[in-house]
Amino acid sequence: MSNLIQNEMMKLLAKKRLLIIGVIVAVLIILFTYAQYKQAEEQREKLGTDDWRTAVQQQIIDIQNRLSSSRMLDEWREQLQVTVKQQQYYLDHNINPSEPGAATFTRMFIENASSLFIPLLVMIVASDLVSSESSQGTIKLLLTRPVLRWKILMSKYITLLLSISIIVAMTGVLAYALSGVVFGYHGWNAPIITGFTVEAGNVDTSGVRLISQWQLLLMDFGLVWYIAVVVGTLAFMLSVLIRSTPAGMGIMLAALISGAILNNMVSSWESAKYFFMVNLQLTNYLSGVAPPIEGMTLLSSVLILFVWWLAALIVSFIVFIRKDVY
Amino acid sequence: MMSNVTLEVNSVRKTIRKREIIKDINFTVRKGEVFGFLGPNGAGKTTTIRMLVGLIKPTAGSIRICGYDVKKDYKKAMQHLGCIVENPELYPFLSGWNNLLHFARMLPNVGEERMMEVVKLVGLEQRIHDTVKTYSLGMRQRLGIAQAMLNRPKLLILDEPTNGLDPAGIREMRQFIRMLAEEEGMSVLVSSHLLSEIQLLCDRVAIITKGEIVKVGTVSDLLSVQERMSWRVEPIELGKEVLRSLTEVMETEDGYVLTSFDEEETPKWNKALVKHGVKILEMNRRLPTLEDLFLELTDGGGAGIE
Amino acid sequence: MSRWRVRIVTVFSALLGLLWIGCLSWAIVDYYHGEASGVEDLSAQPIEKRPDEFIVVALGDSLTRGTGDETGKGYVGTVTEELEKKFDHPITVQNLGIKGLVSAQLAEQVQEREVKRQLQRADAILVTIGGNDLFQKGETLLNLDSTKVSKLQKNYLVHLDAILSTIRQNNSSAQLFMLGLYNPFIELDENGELNAIVRQWNNETAEVLAKYEDMVFVPTFDLFQLSVNEYLYSDKFHPNSAGYRLMAERIAPLIEWEAKDDE
Repeated sequence: MSNLIQNEMMKLLAKKRLLIIGVIVAVLIILFTYAQYKQAEEQREKLGTDDWRTAVQQQIIDIQNRLSSSRMLDEWREQLQVTVKQQQYYLDHNINPSEPGAATFTRMFIENASSLFIPLLVMIVASDLVSSESSQGTIKLLLTRPVLRWKILMSKYITLLLSISIIVAMTGVLAYALSGVVFGYHGWNAPIITGFTVEAGNVDTSGVRLISQWQLLLMDFGLVWYIAVVVGTLAFMLSVLIRSTPAGMGIMLAALISGAILNNMVSSWESAKYFFMVNLQLTNYLSGVAPPIEGMTLLSSVLILFVWWLAALIVSFIVFIRKDVY
Repeated sequence: MMSNVTLEVNSVRKTIRKREIIKDINFTVRKGEVFGFLGPNGAGKTTTIRMLVGLIKPTAGSIRICGYDVKKDYKKAMQHLGCIVENPELYPFLSGWNNLLHFARMLPNVGEERMMEVVKLVGLEQRIHDTVKTYSLGMRQRLGIAQAMLNRPKLLILDEPTNGLDPAGIREMRQFIRMLAEEEGMSVLVSSHLLSEIQLLCDRVAIITKGEIVKVGTVSDLLSVQERMSWRVEPIELGKEVLRSLTEVMETEDGYVLTSFDEEETPKWNKALVKHGVKILEMNRRLPTLEDLFLELTDGGGAGIE
Repeated sequence: MSRWRVRIVTVFSALLGLLWIGCLSWAIVDYYHGEASGVEDLSAQPIEKRPDEFIVVALGDSLTRGTGDETGKGYVGTVTEELEKKFDHPITVQNLGIKGLVSAQLAEQVQEREVKRQLQRADAILVTIGGNDLFQKGETLLNLDSTKVSKLQKNYLVHLDAILSTIRQNNSSAQLFMLGLYNPFIELDENGELNAIVRQWNNETAEVLAKYEDMVFVPTFDLFQLSVNEYLYSDKFHPNSAGYRLMAERIAPLIEWEAKDDE
């Protein structure tokens, strides 16, 4: 098995896929860093101070003004109210919700990238792993060796897991290294409030506690990794089922984007919570953002994703072992 | 008794969506022989070969490689097999050496020495560390054979091995395959849709069409039945008459007279023609085309099949 | 590509994978079993203020926010512009106005720690409040009931007093300017009943302000008295840009900067 995994890693590295992904991530981070920098600068100009409390106070006032307009969907109103309450909590306890620094940028980036961007990067590897062998024709050589088919697929799957681990780490390291040039390499120990629970538009602060940013960052990374593994496994399944890499990628892309759209409108369609793409914003549970559908919890989301993961894995293996190769 | 047989195919069938693609195929390949698998495109050659190497699962029947059932003893069966199915599709982004390393890692007990050996065997020492992208088709073909040889197979299956090669390459490939059979004692199964190639390369041949094997035999047996002599004579009517008195005669559209080919009889016919004052402009030994052969074997020529 | 590179990357990524699995389990366990320790209150340090800074804090309702002004500045924006011209110096403004705010809510808002902190460093404080207490989105107009109005007014005055005293507690020196109410419904008010109520409301407001030092009541009733429609936004309640400009032009000259430049 170790030999097979080394084969797959050799092919992956020779194709320079990880390098390409690294470049994409770096470009995006530079863009985001610049945007963030511009925003901070503009805010400072507008408020006449770089005191974060003033900025947060102003955000609260802005949201409250939006809330006072009568024509607003109830669910949006609830979400805004939740945000106000959390911001107010931060303000009341004199804790900066976004302590400037590369560590904060990294956390924000990873949280925002968790449901679309990182899954997309993972797809670049996952969609290609099996279908590229089919389209190149090398599958015929691979499957006429004295190695059982499930072992070959398993080696590919493990390679996928390994590359996901690298991609997640790479995103984190690049975000920290590149944004640090502008924001400074600090913020690891900034206090962060976690443990907000949101129910029916109310923020329950009874469970809150203070943790250091690096702790939250690591937890975020764990969750993002899990999301990436689930999405990667689904793309992997499509790669087994469909010979053509672009077709598989297209299907996954459609699913991910529909998930992003659904998140904004499914609150009244309760059974939508069984879709994998609605459950991708796991990091929101930690930061206390209201879930898209009432009643969703971290555990339910993790379990729903787990079921999708397991099903995709089973289908992949059964199909791969049984299929005739033409 | 089994030790002499490297491939044994027993009543193999394949049905896809209720359509029978392969209907009851039986044949054996013996040690040290080059076995031809001849048939037009679409006859089921590729499907059969893919079943032999385990890519497609037969609906019924059994395939044994060196006595190991491909279905039940997959690993052991595959250990004795080397194959190239269709084109030798290797990883273009890896070097030749890394391609070999890749496949060597999937085999038990194949180390760098053996890899060096096969590289020398196919004569790729100079370019083995270049990426496969830069190889010519002939070099890819040779690398493909090198990877097939890594595990010292007892049976080598090559699907259309001369496809796309230039004449020099084809000749080289032929010599190489003969060498493997004669010197290394390997069995080689070669598929082709070209009769001439099978004739030059193989000891025995199976002819397949529409999913069925219509004939298995030695190449000389098969072809002698079908070989013709073509004559261009003047005047043609007289010549035909003379030959008809001696043997069966047919006439082609472009003015040739066809008789059967018989080394002993031909000089006599020749003499008779000359005696009757017929001028012989041309006489040729003519190999049957594959189409002729199939026509002969499947329809009209019941006599050709024993 | 060397085999070692492949091997190193493989091992390294496997270690990362284990790390992420660890983080994942930690996240889930911590989410469900983390001990709620609460968050201790860290006291805010006062915001440092540069000596040459002039800070305006605006509190109140939609008038402070600038609702109805197409340019979005509201009277606060215009006042700022005027002051910057007058002092020839940039000015910092904190606009904490929230649409629809009533005096009770403002009384709560000024209790917020951060708002207090903003007030502490203010040089001038602008306030508009009471419009929503009195008019209640136009409901008061539909059924004018003097007992009800006097009850509203009583509550309002209590809250106003609380607001002003909180402000003074936090900032003893800032000048405070409070805009009075105008009567947007003056044209519908045929027998002058509502006019009387608004006038009385303004008088009482001025009385409360008078209890504190450096608090100025700025009337607006007269500005809108004669040609109310010219200065009202299409909702017939909020001023338009011209209306806001009138209000701003009244306040701006009143604000003085006891320049600390000489310090």
